[in-house]
Amino acid sequence: MADETLRNRKGPKVKHDKSPKVDKIQKSEAAGKSGSDSEKENGPARVVATVIETVSTESDVNAAKANLQNTNPAKIIKDAKARAQRRAWSYHLALAFVTLLSFATRVYRISEPAQVVFDEVHFGKFASYYLRRQYYFDVHPPLGKLLLAATGWLAGYDGHFLFDKIGNDYVENNVPYVALRLTPATAGALIIPTVFLTLKEMGMSVAGATFAALLLVFDNALIAQSRLILLDSMLTFFAILSVYTWVKFYKQRHRAFSAPWWFWLSMTGVALALTTGVKMVGLFTVACIGIAVLFDLWELLDIRRGLSMRQVGRHFAARALCLIFLPIAIYLSFFYIHFAVLINSGPGDAFHTPAFQAELKGSSMNVGTPAIPYHANITFKNRDLKVYLHSHVDKYPLRYEDGRISSEGQQVTGYPHRDANNFWTLLPAEPELAGSHAEYEPTDEEKRKNLRYLKHGDHVRLHHPKTDSYLITHDVASPLTPTHMEMTTVKEDVALKRYNETLWKVLLLEEDDETSQAKVRARRGHLKLVNVHHKVAVHTHKGVLPPWGFGQQEINGNKNTKEPKNIWFIDEVQHPRIVNGTEIEDEPEKKEEKKDEKRLSFLQKFFELQSVMISANAGLVKPHPYSSTPITWPFVLRGISFWETKEGLRQIYLLGNPIIWWPAIVGTFMYLAMWVLDRIFLRRGVDDFRPPVRRWWDRSIGFLFLAWALHWLPFFLFERKLFLHHYLPSFIFSVMTAALVFEFIGRIAGEDGAKVDFRTPIAVWMKSQGGPIYWGLLGLALGAAVWSFYYFAPLTYGLGFESVEAIRAHKWLTSWDLQHA
Amino acid sequence: MDMDNLRQRKPRVGDADAQFPLNADDELKDAVPRIVYRPAKPADGTNIYIAVLLTILALVVRLYKITNPAEVVFDEVHFGGFASKYINGKFFMDVHPPLGKLLIAASGVFAGFDGSFDFKGIGSDYLGPKVPYVAMRFFPGLFGVLLVPIAFLTMKNLGYSKPSAILAALLVTFENGLVTQSRLILLDSFLVFFTGLTAMMWSEFLTYQDDPFSLGWFNSLALTGVALGLTLSVKWVGLFLVALIGLSTIQNLWKLLGDTRNSLTTIARHFIVRAICLIVIPMAVYMAMFQVHFWALPNSGSGSSFMSPEFQATLKGNEIAATIKQVGYGSKVYFRHEATNGGYLHSHKSTYPGGSKQQQMTCYPFRGFIDEFLADENSGFTLLPPLEVINGTIIETNVTEFKRIKHGDIIRLEHAVTNKRLHSHDIRAPVTDNENHYEASGYGAAGFTGDTNDHWRIEQLEFDYKNPWIDAIHTPIRLVHVNLGCKLFSHSVKLPEWGFGQQEVTCAKNGKKRLTTWRIEYNENPWLDAKAEKVNYQRPSFLKKFIEIHQTMWRINAGLTSSHPFDSRPDSWPTLKRGISFWTSKKGGGQIYLIGNPVIWYSATLSLLVYVAFEAVSAALVKRGIKVTTTGYIAQASQGGWFLFLGWFLHYIPFFLMARQLFLHHYFPALYFSILLFCAIFDTATRRLGTATQSLAALFVAAAAVWMFYEFSPLTYGTVMTKEHCKRLKWRSRWDFDCNRIGRKVKSSVSQVVSGVTGGAHGGGASPVAEAVPAGGAVAPVENPDET
Repeated sequence: MADETLRNRKGPKVKHDKSPKVDKIQKSEAAGKSGSDSEKENGPARVVATVIETVSTESDVNAAKANLQNTNPAKIIKDAKARAQRRAWSYHLALAFVTLLSFATRVYRISEPAQVVFDEVHFGKFASYYLRRQYYFDVHPPLGKLLLAATGWLAGYDGHFLFDKIGNDYVENNVPYVALRLTPATAGALIIPTVFLTLKEMGMSVAGATFAALLLVFDNALIAQSRLILLDSMLTFFAILSVYTWVKFYKQRHRAFSAPWWFWLSMTGVALALTTGVKMVGLFTVACIGIAVLFDLWELLDIRRGLSMRQVGRHFAARALCLIFLPIAIYLSFFYIHFAVLINSGPGDAFHTPAFQAELKGSSMNVGTPAIPYHANITFKNRDLKVYLHSHVDKYPLRYEDGRISSEGQQVTGYPHRDANNFWTLLPAEPELAGSHAEYEPTDEEKRKNLRYLKHGDHVRLHHPKTDSYLITHDVASPLTPTHMEMTTVKEDVALKRYNETLWKVLLLEEDDETSQAKVRARRGHLKLVNVHHKVAVHTHKGVLPPWGFGQQEINGNKNTKEPKNIWFIDEVQHPRIVNGTEIEDEPEKKEEKKDEKRLSFLQKFFELQSVMISANAGLVKPHPYSSTPITWPFVLRGISFWETKEGLRQIYLLGNPIIWWPAIVGTFMYLAMWVLDRIFLRRGVDDFRPPVRRWWDRSIGFLFLAWALHWLPFFLFERKLFLHHYLPSFIFSVMTAALVFEFIGRIAGEDGAKVDFRTPIAVWMKSQGGPIYWGLLGLALGAAVWSFYYFAPLTYGLGFESVEAIRAHKWLTSWDLQHA
Repeated sequence: MDMDNLRQRKPRVGDADAQFPLNADDELKDAVPRIVYRPAKPADGTNIYIAVLLTILALVVRLYKITNPAEVVFDEVHFGGFASKYINGKFFMDVHPPLGKLLIAASGVFAGFDGSFDFKGIGSDYLGPKVPYVAMRFFPGLFGVLLVPIAFLTMKNLGYSKPSAILAALLVTFENGLVTQSRLILLDSFLVFFTGLTAMMWSEFLTYQDDPFSLGWFNSLALTGVALGLTLSVKWVGLFLVALIGLSTIQNLWKLLGDTRNSLTTIARHFIVRAICLIVIPMAVYMAMFQVHFWALPNSGSGSSFMSPEFQATLKGNEIAATIKQVGYGSKVYFRHEATNGGYLHSHKSTYPGGSKQQQMTCYPFRGFIDEFLADENSGFTLLPPLEVINGTIIETNVTEFKRIKHGDIIRLEHAVTNKRLHSHDIRAPVTDNENHYEASGYGAAGFTGDTNDHWRIEQLEFDYKNPWIDAIHTPIRLVHVNLGCKLFSHSVKLPEWGFGQQEVTCAKNGKKRLTTWRIEYNENPWLDAKAEKVNYQRPSFLKKFIEIHQTMWRINAGLTSSHPFDSRPDSWPTLKRGISFWTSKKGGGQIYLIGNPVIWYSATLSLLVYVAFEAVSAALVKRGIKVTTTGYIAQASQGGWFLFLGWFLHYIPFFLMARQLFLHHYFPALYFSILLFCAIFDTATRRLGTATQSLAALFVAAAAVWMFYEFSPLTYGTVMTKEHCKRLKWRSRWDFDCNRIGRKVKSSVSQVVSGVTGGAHGGGASPVAEAVPAGGAVAPVENPDET
């Protein structure tokens, strides 16, 4: 840094008659309080140097020299400190101002409407389940809902209301909904100061940061989304917080391993865990910070940085600890609390494996789950499609419509209702007929009871008692799916001849181990039935047979044994020794039985829930009337109708403030365009921005641009239904990007801009300002945004309109499908 | 000047990070002696002899026993079938562009195939119907053969040594998968050939970098464009190749841009020539293929029903007679449903068994002959004016003169035969049981005036205030139910037997726009005589047809989501997890099973990892100030390696984004690039040893590959092998060729659909929907009516 100062000292002499106006810079520069790190590091010497450096008229130079010679440098420092305090004051004032405004806009009329709005249906309900401690299932991780539940608990709510339908009344049902709504509202309001602080850290002027923060204060979409019982404001807040903590950490980079360095690094990890704990979308934030970390590490690796490999290793380890292990631990802790709270059986049971369900109090999986003895009559129910494996006397037609030929055997179908034809008698494979299958050696328990239990990996035959025939599959195309094998039943004589084709291997899904001797239990284990000879699994699908099959579902043999629709469980069991779903015991040995069953560990439960969440999330493909595609989001082509009532023509419609959204996306793309142009110019040897500015440009705006892109573009790959509010984190980053781009242009266009060149210390550049025209334009833009906010406020707060015409007037785009219009 | 000096000054190294040069790599590159990337030009006279020798070898390897089996194998079902359709000129729809199929058809014509064989199922006999299948297989086989010299020349162009280039060609020759795929009537050998050709031409172009705008420079660039167009015309996978050449071009231009000796005009010239050669030429080639496609298929066929009425009217056998333009009250009209090709709005004496039990409204495609358009009277409807209420009594307005109908007019539609009127009410639709669909029925009688639920507002699809009239044929219309606000709707959902399997018609709220669109295709009016102005469908221009066929292809392609027993996901390809059973002899003979040569396949996959590791380590070393890898032939190899790696990457990764069914053979273009990459790495690793040792090493690798090829060749050629041999080949349990079947006869004929041979047949192969769906005639892809 020393030689930089030297160079600066020469500076004014070279160009002293070129730049007349320096007061402003002097003021801002001398203050030297916040902003660039270089200043902080150098302390008083730096202040002196900058004072000299920024003074550039002849007289000022003389005055400064005189000052230096005649007065104590301490006095100069004192003056500078005083100015810095004044600046700090304006900065705190601005921060307080935007925070207050943001709370005001979010909390205004928060008790209205006193009805269930949009997805409060879900998230309110989940909070209720927490308070009832009943197990529920949701595609999102638990943190957001835990926070809501905690609020409800503090407010003394007992979870009696289930938020069943949009429009249900809160007051009648005595729900402390205002308290519940205040939680997201607080998170939503805190977004604004975080944005302000982040921009400030990135070197934006107080006025510029205030401008950006105010744009977000007056955005209708952020407000509408924040003041209801929804997760997105929390998600967005934590995402922005992650970015803020990362920026704070990055600014500590010259004081590696100091206390603040560690603090901000671990805070980044915490914030990432919080983000992901609310919604999986937080992974985009993780990716964004992750890329920044990689860039940072890559720079640390550089030999010219002077770090030994050992030191680089320490850097890497510190980041791995704080940004990988710490967040994972915190994320897991949310699930730990989730399982600790939800101990009772509830509506979410059905999403899980029987073993998981058995962990819940009052689960049906805990009653009537006898082990299956051979020669019992049992029914098989498909896990996903809930049909029974069924057969009846009718035959497959000889020739199908498309000309293919069947075996003309007895039909085997999937039937959704209870019926005597669903029962199959479980018979063991007879070793002398089955060839390789060895004689079975009964266990002590079985010898005592004179029974044999069905176990994982057994070869069995399934006898249909109503028609006295055996389940078989063979090399004939099934009626609807020619690539699968036909399933039918055959009489005893044929069954004996084709013995191996009537053999089925029972495989429990929960058992990986081939040699496992686990008993199969009714309603407890999910299983596959794989034909021993043809290696196909009993499969069903939604396809319905033509009238000859009475519209029942097709059952066939599937070569791909891994498909989820091959999964069955044993539902009912008829056996002389099983009464009401429990086995009559010869001897009291219940306790022993209980011991056999292993309880699931926390991690097992976590991984099961996590995988079900991911697959359920991917399964959300059914279109919703207000779902939209990602490409429409930045342009506010469509909103979401949250709630409406004819009375007073009121409605809440999620809609971004177009006066903010449209310039935001333009500004964001301007960054991209300027970046590309700059790189092309540079390639041609024209270097206008100069490395210090370019570095600031890449590390601040570039980082925000990356955040914007990473929170938006991945949605294009999603096949699930998507909504406008998925864009909100991205929108905030685009506003920040745009504000910085505008300030950058303002500075370039302002009178100080001309002085930017290679030798300009970045600190001077940071303190330079756009001219009055720039500030005027920003003021105008802000005015327009506030007006537009006010104009659309009835849709945001659900205030209502005077007439249908008034609603129509608000329909700036025909694609905004406002209600009542 | 002082200032200028400062501007030019290099930032000092070792300062704080504030003083870093912008791009550390650039800086370093300047520091080391610059390696000029100038690969050897293929001017070496021996190259051509080597190429010829390699071609002859490949001819032997790839065409050996091409007559076996004399039965339809796997997707020959589709592509052979398409050849028949080309020969008969019957319009069909397929998800792939036409070039590959045109080439197959051309070979069929050349060999005297008359198009009478329909390639119905795997295992159908060729010899009986005298299909010149050998010639038709020979043609794709030839393209497969020519890939071999191309691999050799590409490697030479990229600057690799001769032994390595020969090795590349040999590995391509002895890759079982590529051999299997190229000796059958399939598209992939064309695709891989053209992909290789493009890469070769582009690598040729890269050797002319020091001699821009020379003849060779122009030639190679233009030929790259032509080859690119041809690749794209075989399969859309060619788009990945476009991305590869595009990125490589950008890299190429970026290099030119960085050389400040090039003036901006020169760079502009460079840019324009590339734009013409790599954008305009491929587009032209691609479109020309479609023009040929349209010429070759003048007749209506199985694919007609996928197309719009305008398109269909261009096909022989589907023409529609001109009809009177102006529609007025009293007109008798036929409404055609636009999107589904379900036919015309139709009614008949039968009633709905449930709901209101009123008369059925359906869509029915039967149209009769062109001259006797009205063969099916039951689709005729008369346009009546709305009822009027005067002093509480309902009066039917009397039409006494021609009154033209315009957008927004309220009408009633009376079924001409039964005198029932098109009606809707708050009762759920017969089949589609959801709240958005109301029943559309026929109600009323000749004397009975009916009620306001008969009232429909006729609207133009896009209201044109300058021309608000409803015209026959030219105006797409919607019928909006006045009381319910729903729109007359149909979709490809069939009514049960009581509705004779005709298409369901409902009145839908939030129905998809295209499913609520109708068109008046026939119109007669008592006040207009035969001399009145007539209209017919406008013949769509080539461009319109081109765009429409692409929309349709896209839709069908996206709809290929059903599963196939042998489909696979991309993550299983590089490790060769499983193959595809193409064919199994019914007489207990051989079987054809698509599987790669494990030696080649796994080395190619390994080379990808080696390449990535090498580049990563090298970048880290450079960052730590160690520059061993930025000099000499390693730097050069790294450049060629980058192109090949990018080629593999772009031909592989995008498949992860595709939800449609995928097969192992989709990996072949990527495999080709990775084989070349393996040889590039081989070259880099062995070049130090000198030509003789390197040749020896190459020979060793090639020998291993040939031996493995020989082991697996029975599965490739479909020849008989012993059970022991077969079991020996089962390296992995998922390689499910059937060893037990050897020497056993298969009993029933249906069984082969299910057994190991399950190939194309129904729902199989790469393009099943196109074939399976329209076969019955008027069936369009299923629409989801719930989507708004």
